[in-house]
Amino acid sequence: MVRKYAALLRMKYMEMLAYRLATIVWMTGAITQPLITMAVWINIDPSQSDAFFFYFMAVIFVERMTSAWDVWELDREIREGTFSNYIIRPLHPIHWAIAENVVYKLLFLVILIPMWAGAALFVPALRVEISMSQLLLFLAAVLMGALLRFLLSYTCGLLGFWITKVAAIYSVLEVISLFLSGRIAPLSMLPPLLQQWSIFLPFRYMIGFPIDLISQAANGHEVRQGFMIASVWAVIFIMMLQWIWKAGLKKNQAVGG
Amino acid sequence: MGRYWRIFREFFRACFVEELEYRSEFLGNLVSSFFGIGIAILTIHIFFYQTDRLGGWTYADVLVLLGVFNTLKGWIDFALRPNMPRLLEHVRRGTLDYILTKPVDGMFYVSFRHLVFWRLIDVALGLGLIVYGLAEKHYMPSLVDILVFLITMASSLVLIYSLWMMLMTTSFWVIRIDDLSFIFDSFFETARFPIGMYRGWVRVILTYVLPAAVITNMPALSLLGKWNMATALIAGLLAVVFLWLARRFWRFALRSYTSASS
Repeated sequence: MVRKYAALLRMKYMEMLAYRLATIVWMTGAITQPLITMAVWINIDPSQSDAFFFYFMAVIFVERMTSAWDVWELDREIREGTFSNYIIRPLHPIHWAIAENVVYKLLFLVILIPMWAGAALFVPALRVEISMSQLLLFLAAVLMGALLRFLLSYTCGLLGFWITKVAAIYSVLEVISLFLSGRIAPLSMLPPLLQQWSIFLPFRYMIGFPIDLISQAANGHEVRQGFMIASVWAVIFIMMLQWIWKAGLKKNQAVGG
Repeated sequence: MGRYWRIFREFFRACFVEELEYRSEFLGNLVSSFFGIGIAILTIHIFFYQTDRLGGWTYADVLVLLGVFNTLKGWIDFALRPNMPRLLEHVRRGTLDYILTKPVDGMFYVSFRHLVFWRLIDVALGLGLIVYGLAEKHYMPSLVDILVFLITMASSLVLIYSLWMMLMTTSFWVIRIDDLSFIFDSFFETARFPIGMYRGWVRVILTYVLPAAVITNMPALSLLGKWNMATALIAGLLAVVFLWLARRFWRFALRSYTSASS
């Protein structure tokens, strides 16, 4: 397994290098929406400018680290029939996706962390003072967020065995997550009802929760509760994924030749 | 001109017939349009949950602005967006030759050949939201208001088309990227909110360089009766200048287009 992964990772790394320009453009593409939202909030409450600035920079960082694009890939591959190439191989296709995620996200990490550190030298609002254990908790939460988003996206993608419009379904989920994950507003600014929902739904743990950890907005009890709910969702997603995968293979009729 | 109008109608008819093959999509598209505008209104609600002014605009004003935004976005998705990936494909494969040899203007053909008329639902919903916003504000626009609105709206459409076309034309050089439209979207998103919300150099850029402010704020302000003739004329002038630039850029790109070997 280790050797297989080494090969997969190397392959995906090469692939990424081959599409350098696309990778860079794609990486910077997702930053305008948080920046605009930040402008709105700073306009609403100028006295909190620094806090909002920190929050939305963290949104950009966590969003990049947890982003999942597998649903679009799967949607296309299943529809065009090229997914069959993966099915007949002796390794579960999900490993290709996992390797791809690892490679891209490591790249993001390697680029974004020094950028943040460099910016923090000049912008005091970006400085974080936390202990090592808190930092580890934050990274664990980011990893958990990445896992949840990946599982959700991959599961949705597999629905492509039955329906042709999975991308549309996933966009609806993305939009719901816009509110409940904390991208439109820090969750504490939402109406109480939405706040309550966000605790029990998976979306908060994809973006908002890690940010709460790094900005130290969550206390010990909330942190434990957060990790617990997130793990429950991860288990649910994994079970769904396995079930849909098995049922989907039976249903699959490779399109094209 | 009349000839191009006829060709456009023919494009529309062809796409209409094609879409009618997939009639079951109607419901899905209807739902997604309502969903989209509902989410946009919900976002505004969340902002106004914490405040009563956004960049100096009240809730009703922002609704009118959002209506204008949605209408324009509907037009983009109707006429412009479907054509972007196709041009990239043509350039990559060299099939653009077939278009260039047709007895129609190439720029016209590549920008309007494919239309997704479902998105006209967004236009209708946007107009509806404008009316609702005005009702919320209890403001009845005068005839002159509406006239200025129509002028500024037309300038906005031309501006959007020009910016979009310039972006699309870059595909002659950056053929590796599947879809450039998200660059436009990133910029267009800024037009969703009152320009007074932005500060410093961002505001300057959004007013003069990438005129997001002009595109949505001007029509909304006209309907709310806060227009002045000078700015409306500047908007019109700006539209003409950008259209000219887009045209020049397209011509320039064509000169450097060498076609793919066959």
